[in-house]
Amino acid sequence: MTDVLVIDGLSAGYGPLRVIHDLDLKIKSGERVGIVGLNGHGKTTLLYAIAGLTGWQRGSIQLNGVEIGRTRSQGPGRYTHQIVRQGLAIMPQGDEIFNGLTVEEHLDSGAFTRDAWRNRKFRKQRVLDLFPPLGKLMGTPVGRLSGGERRMVSIGRGLMTDAKLYLVDEPSLGLAPKISQSVMEALFSLDLKDSAMFIAEQNVALLEGRVDRVINMHAGKLKGEASSSLSLSKTHG
Amino acid sequence: MDITFVLLNAVVIASIYGLIAVAVSITWSSLGLINLGYGFVFSFAGYGAWLMSTYVTKMPAPVMAAGILAGAICGVIICLVVFIPLHDKSNFTTRGMVGTLAISLLGSQALLMNFGPRAKALPEFFGTGSVNLGGIVLTADRIGIVVCATVMLCFVVFWMKGSRRGLEIRAMMMNPHAASIVGIGIRKTGIYVMAITGGMAGLAAVLLSQTYYVAPFSGLTPLIKGVSIALCGGLGSVQGAIIAAVILGFTEAATSSLLGGQYVLITQFLVIICILIFRPRGISGLLDKAREQ
Repeated sequence: MTDVLVIDGLSAGYGPLRVIHDLDLKIKSGERVGIVGLNGHGKTTLLYAIAGLTGWQRGSIQLNGVEIGRTRSQGPGRYTHQIVRQGLAIMPQGDEIFNGLTVEEHLDSGAFTRDAWRNRKFRKQRVLDLFPPLGKLMGTPVGRLSGGERRMVSIGRGLMTDAKLYLVDEPSLGLAPKISQSVMEALFSLDLKDSAMFIAEQNVALLEGRVDRVINMHAGKLKGEASSSLSLSKTHG
Repeated sequence: MDITFVLLNAVVIASIYGLIAVAVSITWSSLGLINLGYGFVFSFAGYGAWLMSTYVTKMPAPVMAAGILAGAICGVIICLVVFIPLHDKSNFTTRGMVGTLAISLLGSQALLMNFGPRAKALPEFFGTGSVNLGGIVLTADRIGIVVCATVMLCFVVFWMKGSRRGLEIRAMMMNPHAASIVGIGIRKTGIYVMAITGGMAGLAAVLLSQTYYVAPFSGLTPLIKGVSIALCGGLGSVQGAIIAAVILGFTEAATSSLLGGQYVLITQFLVIICILIFRPRGISGLLDKAREQ
């Protein structure tokens, strides 16, 4: 069990606003970690800070032993593609997708490493096995899909490469309960091998008992960790 | 002064301005940069082709290749000097416009200092032959210009559709934020975009030099027309730019044969203003989903 992600003293925010306050976090390989918290308490900002997408940030972030955090005062997204190439897969909140591209082109765009691009056929099939409804839609522009199908595309895009760390931001947001259940099911059924998954979610019930630990986030700080659903209720109480 | 003559001229003009307009359009939608540096790219490519024809060979293919290559190099220079340092700073759109305009003026002055004010002529590429098709005389240079421009446009469109770099560029056109999330580097893609659009402007310069001369400031009019055609077609849309190029090419050809060449800019801009009054976002600005934020 090696540490996939080590965050040490991370602060991040936008302009004058400081959202994340001196945060420390460790995620080991093979782990599925959930992070819960109310709206506006910094879950998305934490994921964005790992990807270098916040307005400014400082503190150390190590992905698989490589330092990817840096002190920045501007230029959100300037280094994101390099960080992503280090082995980070981001499945962002909402629909960060390319409306005019077809589902197939979308999945191709996720295969950015040379290896992934070479055997993208096989990888696409793997995504289709996970999300069978996408099979019929390969030639359709993503802008015409329903919300659930878009979420499948955006998650499938993240699965096209061999990431060390999967960042999943609110996979159930805006979806009907039944569909969000199936999306979560797909995330849980993925064989992580030596990688790790970090899921931000508001609906604790969807995570309960399915992830290795759940971290509670409050006002830009981590408040307590729980290893099972039993102690999860303790951190809330 | 018959209609076929006007139509023919329209197609020739449309194919040249269309190249620049599509280049402007692609740069805007993928990089968010209104590149006013194409004026310089245009003259630079013209001089590149002229150097090739004076010092190496007068064969059409190498001269044309030299023009395209010079345009691509010049595009990359603009990318390195303006786009890469400025792209993630605030107010990038305005700064980028000012920066590229400055490069255009500086570069054209540098060409003036280097090569002097005398205009240079390029050799005729397509010979002087002509084909008579049912009463319509098609001269070789017209056919050549239209064919070359169409081939280049088709190449760019298919490259954007089929290749991996094209996929990256299209992804960036639709959602730059999501593009960085999937690992597409904005700066690297910027270099590809500027190289290929610079090459397009370079070809336009070489083709236009079949009618006009190569001079330090010869890029100014094509730049103004290219940008306004791109604006008229709906910035960011390749189809729109081509439609607008056809409309304005026809306006130019009709005006110059019916009223006289001095009225061309007047009627052209009247048409552009009319189009923009009725479709403020350009001809296909509403059809296209690109950069709709």
